[in-house]
Amino acid sequence: MSHLPALVDGFLTTLALVALSFTGAFALGLVVVVLRIGPLGVLRAVGTGYVETFQNIPLLVWLVLFVFGLPEVGVRFPLFTTAVVVISLYEAAYVAEALRSGVNTVAQGQGEAARALGLTFGQTLRHVVVPQAARRVVQPLGNIGIALTMNTSLAAVAGVVELTASANRVNLVEALPIPIFVGAGLCYALLAAGIGGLAGLLERRLAT
Amino acid sequence: MRWTTLSVVVLLVVAGCSGGESSVPGTAPTSGIDALVAKAPVAADLPAGSTMARIRQRGELLVGGSLDAPLLSQQDPGTGRLTGFDADLGKLLAKYILGEPKTRLVTATSETREPLLANGTVDVVLQTYTITPQRAERVAFAGPYYSSGQAIAVRRGTGGIAKPADLAGHKVIAGANTPSIAAVKAAAPTAEIVEFGSDPECLTALRQGRGEAYVQDQALLIADAAQDKDLQLVGEPFTTDPYGIGLKHGDDQFKQFVNDWLREIQKSGLWQDVWRGSIGTVVAGDPPAPPVIGSAQGS
Amino acid sequence: MMFDPPGPRGRRRSRVATAVSVLVVLALVVVAVRRFDAAGQLELAKWRPFLTWPVWRYLLTGLWATVLAAAAVFALASVAGLGLAFGRMSAFPWPFRAYVEVMRTIPVLLLIYVVLFVLPAYGLDLPLFWKLVLPLAFSHAAQFAEIFRAGVLAVDRGQGEAGASLGLTHAQNMRLVVLPQAVRNVLPSLVSQTVGLLKDTALGYVVSYLELLQSGRVLANFNHLLIQTFLVVALVYLVVNASLSKLARYLEARSARSAR
Repeated sequence: MSHLPALVDGFLTTLALVALSFTGAFALGLVVVVLRIGPLGVLRAVGTGYVETFQNIPLLVWLVLFVFGLPEVGVRFPLFTTAVVVISLYEAAYVAEALRSGVNTVAQGQGEAARALGLTFGQTLRHVVVPQAARRVVQPLGNIGIALTMNTSLAAVAGVVELTASANRVNLVEALPIPIFVGAGLCYALLAAGIGGLAGLLERRLAT
Repeated sequence: MRWTTLSVVVLLVVAGCSGGESSVPGTAPTSGIDALVAKAPVAADLPAGSTMARIRQRGELLVGGSLDAPLLSQQDPGTGRLTGFDADLGKLLAKYILGEPKTRLVTATSETREPLLANGTVDVVLQTYTITPQRAERVAFAGPYYSSGQAIAVRRGTGGIAKPADLAGHKVIAGANTPSIAAVKAAAPTAEIVEFGSDPECLTALRQGRGEAYVQDQALLIADAAQDKDLQLVGEPFTTDPYGIGLKHGDDQFKQFVNDWLREIQKSGLWQDVWRGSIGTVVAGDPPAPPVIGSAQGS
Repeated sequence: MMFDPPGPRGRRRSRVATAVSVLVVLALVVVAVRRFDAAGQLELAKWRPFLTWPVWRYLLTGLWATVLAAAAVFALASVAGLGLAFGRMSAFPWPFRAYVEVMRTIPVLLLIYVVLFVLPAYGLDLPLFWKLVLPLAFSHAAQFAEIFRAGVLAVDRGQGEAGASLGLTHAQNMRLVVLPQAVRNVLPSLVSQTVGLLKDTALGYVVSYLELLQSGRVLANFNHLLIQTFLVVALVYLVVNASLSKLARYLEARSARSAR
C-alpha cells in the first residue's frame, strides 16, 4: 500500500502529541491540585475556576478558540505547539480532579494526625498523603491517558496531520473508509491498551 | 450559583418550546427554488422494483450531504432551510421521483458517504463529490452535474504567487476533505498543505498568516472576496473537478434514470436557473455550459 | 484539613497575595481585551447577530438535542455501569472485567461506525437518536463501572462487616450501607464523567444528529463570525455544565450533612 508512509507519519505525530500533552497535563495538573487543596483561599478559587472552565467546555471549542482566537490578541504559536498546549491545559483539569479524588480517599484523620504532629502542609502532603494516594490515582491517571489519546484526534482542527487526519487524506483518494478507519481505530485501541497495561504495571509496583 | 441554575432552567424551557418548530418553517417566503420546483418535471412510470419506485413508495428522498457548504448546501440557521446548488438539485430530483420536493438530509462526511450509500442509509450523495476512477470502484456516479474549478486566493499585496506552480515551497491552506488538496498536490508537489475544517477557518488562518495562499473552489472564493476586501483572487481556476451524484455501486438502472433527469433539466434550462439562484448570485455573467453527462472518467 | 487555620500574620500574607494575584489577572484580561478590540473583534456588527432570536433559537435547539442525548446516555450508562461494577466484584468477575477492559480502549467513534455501517447490513437500522446514544452508552458504561467500583472499594471494610453483624443481607448491606458511601466518595468523578458524556454527544455529527457544537459550526459557516460564534457556544456549554457541577456539589453537601 503506497499510503503507508503517510499513515506511519500520522501515527508518529499522534504518539508525539500523546507524550507531550500527557507530560504537560500531568505537570500542570499537579500544580492545580496543590492550589485546590492548599491553604490559600484565593489560590483555591483559582484552582477550582481552572478545573471548572476547562472541564465544562469541549476540547474542540478550546482548540478553535486558541488556534483562531489567540492570534487576535497578538499571541501566535506554531499549530503543533498550539495543539499540545490546548490538550495539556484541557487534560490538566482532569488530572487535577483525579489527584484530588486520590487525596480525598486518604482518610481525613490522617491529615489531622499529621497536623497534630506539627507537620506543615507541604510535609503532610509529601510524607502522609502522597504515598497513600499514589497507588489509588494510577488507574484514574491511566484512564485520562487513554482519553487523551482519543482526544488527540481532534488536533486535526488545528491543522495538525495526525493519525485520523492522515487516514482522512488517504480515504479521500482511496474511498475505502471501513478498512482505513477500522485500522486507525485499532491503532488507537493498541495505544490505549498499552497505556492501560502500563498503568496496571505501575499500580502493582506501588502496591508492594 | 442560583442565577446560573436559574438561567439554565430558562434556557432549557425556551429550547424545549422551540425544539419542534425550527425544522418546519411555518410561512417561509417563496424563494427562487419554489418557483423552479413548480415547473420542474416529474418522471412518468417508474419500473416496478426499481430503486426509484422504492423511493416513491417511501415518500421522501434521502440525500447525503452537508449543512455547512456555502453556495452548495448550507443550512440557514434562521429558517432551517437548506440553500445552494446541491440542495436545490436535490429538491428537483425529489420532485422528479416523488412528484413533490420532499428530501431529508443525512449529513455525510468524507468517511461516511461510501458506507452510507452501500448500506442504503441514503439514496444519493450530493456533496462536492469529485468523480475519480478510484471512487468509481466503490460507488456509482451519475453526472457530472457540475464542473468546479479550484482557484488561488492570497492576502492583498502578497507577491510571488501568480500561477499554481508558484505555490511550490509555500504553505498553502486548503479545506480538509475537499478536492483542493489533490489539486495543490498535483500543481505544486512541494507545497506544504495546511488543512482546516471549514471555509471561515481557512480564511481566518490566511488572515493570521498560517499560510501564504488559500486554494478553494473559485465560486466560494469570489463570495469570500466580496465580503473581505483584503482577499485577492489570483488568476483563473486551474482545475476542473467534475462533481457527481453518488449512487449505490452497481445500480445501473438508477444511474441511467438520474442521468436522464440531468439531461432533461440541462436541456430545459432548469439547471441554468438553479445555477443563477445559487452560484450565480456571486459569480457574474451567464451560467456556464453544463458538463456533458458521462464525460468524466468514472461516470 | 491538612493545614492549621492561618494566624494573623498568615491572614495578612494571604490578603496581600490575593490582592496581587487579582491585580495581575485583571491586568492580563485588560491587555487581552484591548488587543482583541484593536483586532476589530469587538465591533458591534460582529456581535449584533447574537442578540437576535433566530440565532438563539438555532443554538438552543442544538442545546436541547445535546441535553436529550446526554440524559439518555447517562440513564443507560449509569445503570449498566452499576451492574458491571457489582458483576466485577461477584464470584464470576471475568466477563465483566473483560467488557470494561475492552470497552475503555476502543474509540467511541469505532462503536458509532459499527452501529452506522455494520448493523444496517444485518437489517438493524436504528433511529438516528439511538445511533448516537447506544454506542456512547456502551462506552460510558465501562467508565461508570470503574468509578462505582473504585467508590465501593474505598468504603472502609469495617462498614460492610458492621452491616453484616447487624443481620443485614448482602443486598441490604450494599444498598443501605456501602453504596451511599461509595457514591459520595466518587461524586466528583461521576460529575466529570457526566459532563464528559455531555461533551461526547458532539460526535452526533457523524450520524447526522445536529447538537449544540455542530450547530455552532454550521452557524459560524453561515455568518462567517468564527471566533464570536465559538465564544458564544463555549459560554452556553459553560453555563450548562457549571450548573450540573453546582447541582452535584449541592447534593454532595446535603448528603455529607445527613451522613454526620
